[in-house]
Amino acid sequence: MHMLDGLNIINPLPLAALEVGHHLYWRVGGLQLHGQVFLTSWFVIGLLLIAAIAAGRNVQRIPSGIQNLMEFALEFIRNLTKEHIGEKEYRPWVPFIGTLFLFIFVSNWSGALLPWKLIHLPAGELAAPTGDINTTVALALLTSLAYFYAGFRKRGLGYLAKYLEPQPFLLPINILEDFTKPLSLSFRLFGNILADELVVGVLVLLVPFIVPMPVMLLGLFTSAIQALVFATLAAVYIGEAIEGHGGHEEEH
Amino acid sequence: MIPQWTLLLATAAVEEVAEKGKLFDFDATLPLMAIQIVVLVLVLDKLFYTPLGKVLDDRDEYIRGGLSTAKARLAEAEALKTQYEKELAETRRESNTVIVTAKAEAKKIADGQIAETQQAAQVQREQAQQEIDKQKQSAFTALEPQIEALSRQILTKLLGAELVK
Repeated sequence: MHMLDGLNIINPLPLAALEVGHHLYWRVGGLQLHGQVFLTSWFVIGLLLIAAIAAGRNVQRIPSGIQNLMEFALEFIRNLTKEHIGEKEYRPWVPFIGTLFLFIFVSNWSGALLPWKLIHLPAGELAAPTGDINTTVALALLTSLAYFYAGFRKRGLGYLAKYLEPQPFLLPINILEDFTKPLSLSFRLFGNILADELVVGVLVLLVPFIVPMPVMLLGLFTSAIQALVFATLAAVYIGEAIEGHGGHEEEH
Repeated sequence: MIPQWTLLLATAAVEEVAEKGKLFDFDATLPLMAIQIVVLVLVLDKLFYTPLGKVLDDRDEYIRGGLSTAKARLAEAEALKTQYEKELAETRRESNTVIVTAKAEAKKIADGQIAETQQAAQVQREQAQQEIDKQKQSAFTALEPQIEALSRQILTKLLGAELVK
């Protein structure tokens, strides 16, 4: 870390510091928490709540302003959910898929757009909550629980029959899929966001002027795509659990 | 110098990660974050998805209702239009026949009156002619003796009284 400190002295900009794997540890009743993740996630949740309250406070038949924006978001989420879960079953899943999408999207963009690093913490630094493995694994496990719940609720114990489809000897692979799904979901999101932050961080450290801009724009794009991918895959998994494995090609 | 900095930086970062292994640092953040997200789902469902979804559905319903009413009205208007058009055509045809018959009748009446009048005029003319002829005759007959007397007078004047007798 001495090398990095030396660099920081040379570098005149306060934004240009690179820290990986440092956390602001909180201890609550014997539990260890990553404080910076909670701080930014509360910010994101607060933003979502404010937008939701502002949009739903005085709903009009002819929407305007924030209601229009949030209706656009809701319609987008509804279409996404409908497309992957099906016209008949999609409605109860809109809040879950929608919240996944909105939370990840706002988290990613807050990490890419807001100069979190101007706020100094005793340890670690503020960044997108989705750049922390705990957050992404939590989201991925919730998705797993959701599709198990969806499958068992729709088809009862018959849901287990899908492990023998299309052929019984595929049982181990089908069971393995239940582990690879959350794994790929969480690591895809975590890797993309953290990598983007690191690339931008390194570039800012080296050339703190203009050059990082294209990478930052690319980061905005990746962030949005990752939110969409996570929500889409969650919807696909739930839809798959509901309608069964037969004749349905899974996309990866 | 810059390439060396990158190298140093990269090695430093990697050492940091390898040394502490804090990149994959699982702790109580995970379950608490999951709970936080579940609560967020429930709260947003109450605040956002349900009310705004209801607005979207109501609007869909409203538009669909308006559309079907408009369609029904359009069909009604179409039907009225065709009916009116039919009535109009019928009325036009009727009026045409009325006009034609009225014209024919009027022509017949006019023709009859003209013929009658011509006949009457003919009769009157003939009567007048006869009258004139009669009067002429009578005038001639009346004038006959006078002519006699006058011619005698002329003769007398020309030839002298002795010769005339």
